[in-house]
Amino acid sequence: MDALNNLMYGFGIALEPINIAYVFAGVFAGTIIGMLPGLGPISALALMIPITFAMEPSSGLILMAGVYYGAIFGGSTSSILLNAPGVAGTVATSFDGYPMAKKGLAGKALAIAAYSSFVGGTVSVVFLMLVAPLLSKVAVSFGPAEYFALMVLGLTAVVSLSDKSLVKGLIAAVVGVMISIVGIDMQTGTERFTFGSINLLDGIDFLVVALGIFALAEVFYMLLRGGGGKEAPRNAIGSLKLTRSEVKEIAGPVSRSSVLGFFTGVLPGAGATIGSFLGYSMEKRIAKDGHTFGQGNIKGVAAPEAANNAACTGSFVPLLTLGVPGSGTTAVLLGALLVMGVTPGPMMLEQRPDVFWGVVASMYIGNIFLLVLNLPLIPLIAKILDLPKPLLLSLILIFCMIGVYGMSFSVFDLLLLLGFGLLGLGMRLFGFPAAPLILALILGNIMEESMRRALQISGGDWMTFVDKPISLSLLLIALLSLGLPLLKKRRKRAIAE
Amino acid sequence: MTSLSLKRLAVIALPMAALAGMMTSAQAQEWTPSKSIEFVAPANPGGGWDTLVRTMSRVLQQEGLADRNFAAINVPGGGGAVAWAQIARDSGNPHKLFATSPPMILVPLAGASRYDHTDFTPVARINTDYSIILVAADSEYQDLNDLFAALKENPRLSVGGGSAPGSMDHISVAGLASAAGLEASSVNYIPFSGGGDAMTNLMGGHIEAVITGAGESVGQLGEGSQLRALGVSAEERLGGALADVPTYQEQGIDYTFDIWRGVMGTPDMPEEAVTYYEDLFAEMLETDAWRQASDQLGWIDAYQNSEEFGAFLDEQQEQFSSVLSDLGLLRQ
Repeated sequence: MDALNNLMYGFGIALEPINIAYVFAGVFAGTIIGMLPGLGPISALALMIPITFAMEPSSGLILMAGVYYGAIFGGSTSSILLNAPGVAGTVATSFDGYPMAKKGLAGKALAIAAYSSFVGGTVSVVFLMLVAPLLSKVAVSFGPAEYFALMVLGLTAVVSLSDKSLVKGLIAAVVGVMISIVGIDMQTGTERFTFGSINLLDGIDFLVVALGIFALAEVFYMLLRGGGGKEAPRNAIGSLKLTRSEVKEIAGPVSRSSVLGFFTGVLPGAGATIGSFLGYSMEKRIAKDGHTFGQGNIKGVAAPEAANNAACTGSFVPLLTLGVPGSGTTAVLLGALLVMGVTPGPMMLEQRPDVFWGVVASMYIGNIFLLVLNLPLIPLIAKILDLPKPLLLSLILIFCMIGVYGMSFSVFDLLLLLGFGLLGLGMRLFGFPAAPLILALILGNIMEESMRRALQISGGDWMTFVDKPISLSLLLIALLSLGLPLLKKRRKRAIAE
Repeated sequence: MTSLSLKRLAVIALPMAALAGMMTSAQAQEWTPSKSIEFVAPANPGGGWDTLVRTMSRVLQQEGLADRNFAAINVPGGGGAVAWAQIARDSGNPHKLFATSPPMILVPLAGASRYDHTDFTPVARINTDYSIILVAADSEYQDLNDLFAALKENPRLSVGGGSAPGSMDHISVAGLASAAGLEASSVNYIPFSGGGDAMTNLMGGHIEAVITGAGESVGQLGEGSQLRALGVSAEERLGGALADVPTYQEQGIDYTFDIWRGVMGTPDMPEEAVTYYEDLFAEMLETDAWRQASDQLGWIDAYQNSEEFGAFLDEQQEQFSSVLSDLGLLRQ
């Protein structure tokens, strides 16, 4: 009952006309930011700090939170239409979203993304409201050993993401880990694989790799196939409507991924990107038609979209209840709150309930706005696919370059983008899957750092990974998820013989 | 005819204009920024440098002191080295400043940066913060002596900090340990990606203690908190929320550590620009908004102008390099 009272109190704040305007402005700006590759929520929020500092803290956070989840919501659009992920959290959406668009089902893919995002966002706000204070305990129970185990579990998804050849998938994953190592090592301050270049000191940005390997490689591939490739079919957008059986089909994946995504978001450092990959690979394993993932399966769009929006909301748990940012974006939010004179932390629920409950309530409203805002836009935005191919390809090219340059203002990064585009093309021609590389790139760094930290704490004792119950269970799940498919295969073969 | 007179006019006007230009530039010794100033925090959002940069930018804007906006920019990585390397390339740019503190001296001494403080232009020292030792609220350690007795017994007990080995938090705790009668290098120091990250791990019981900036810890202490402070590195007790925290010296350990904070500029920043900024910051320190923010964050003003700050940095370098070589961490 308490939660209900608090929520009513929160709605009292969120429904003030000025705050409704802020929610709307936030999610609208967020949607646009999310659609454009490169301009991510982090830079957008950092730019907004000077605007918000004079605002009422609850209004300021309502606005900025709206930009954040709005960007994750909108990020799926360019993933689906152009194979060019707008934000890191929507990379997994392109795995099945883009094939759907190529089949002339762009409208349906975008609609599924919108509905799933809405459900993921809303379900996770309910969780945030009911269990946030309790969950702060879960967030701190994850130390270095537990993070290492979680990353190992995440990496087992490589098996399900390598569609044809496991060996090629593993090779791609190793390359991904290698890319993640480039830059200054945080544990010792030593430079690794920078070849003396100042531009590599900071490592290689994830989006440069993702845009290169997905979007640019796609452009190269289409160019290589020449003008003879078939034109995009007429009415390429297709219907927005979902049939009843399709709704039934995605209901399971969406609800499972919403919960999974929320808990991934709660862990500092994990976040929307990892959440969406975990959701995708979980559904691929569970699904009876798992082998059609990657070819335009609607569940492959629904799962990561529900998960990344849920994770985005989940990341507010450590921020608001512990005062600890779990991701780059929430770190900027923390900075903004401090500037507005609010110190998030264990005492915030008591000291500034208006900020906490106001924001929670505004997220319900914001998610509805997003759905209402995005659905009518779909036919308009999807028209982009009707463009003649030469125009479309140049558009993607420009999109990627502006995105990358806008992030770092570095010409070097443009060359990197080109390099990764060529790498992506090569991988495609020789049948290496790109998804494992991206996954390993995201997880590799955290996995390595956590492992070294855990070992340093334990004095070099490897048993630390199995002594801790959370870490042990995660590693066992990882082992199971690796072992089961292999066993299944063997049994199948045995039966066949 | 008209064109001729115009030409004539121009002939006369040109030197006049030049003269006028010279006069204004002579009068206006005062340089003012012509666009917004990039104010770099060489770390991720949320840490000490970041807080300094954002607080200063806000106070300057609130009080309407600066002609131009100060735009806070985060350039994380390498304990500052990534940002320094970028700024070092921007020689003479008067519109770029960065926040600095002991890592500016320590990181180069540890051999982890190609650039040291002599590569940049000192602008002003602003204030100082202190190190603080934290344990979990339900920890058995009641004071520093308890903690160090335990560390002596079991050197594997881990102390987390928010910076790389050989950098500020590590030096601070290693120096404290040696003052407490332990081998300085025997502390099992675990570097985290920031003070916040280290404190989360302390809350979860993954490490024994944390050393971080007192200012950074204020939000985590007080009623209902999961953490408890054992001591601060100041000479006297701090005010506000930290008034109850005893100093190291009160507990019989003769050691202090200052986390001074200041502002530096690009290499060879023009003198007029330096003068503009040092005056601006001196003025800022007098405002109520600054007073209020400093109290909230547990900062103590410690202003020095460009020249004094430069000399102070040289002194600090000498001092730290002798400490580091005692610890066997000097890698020059």
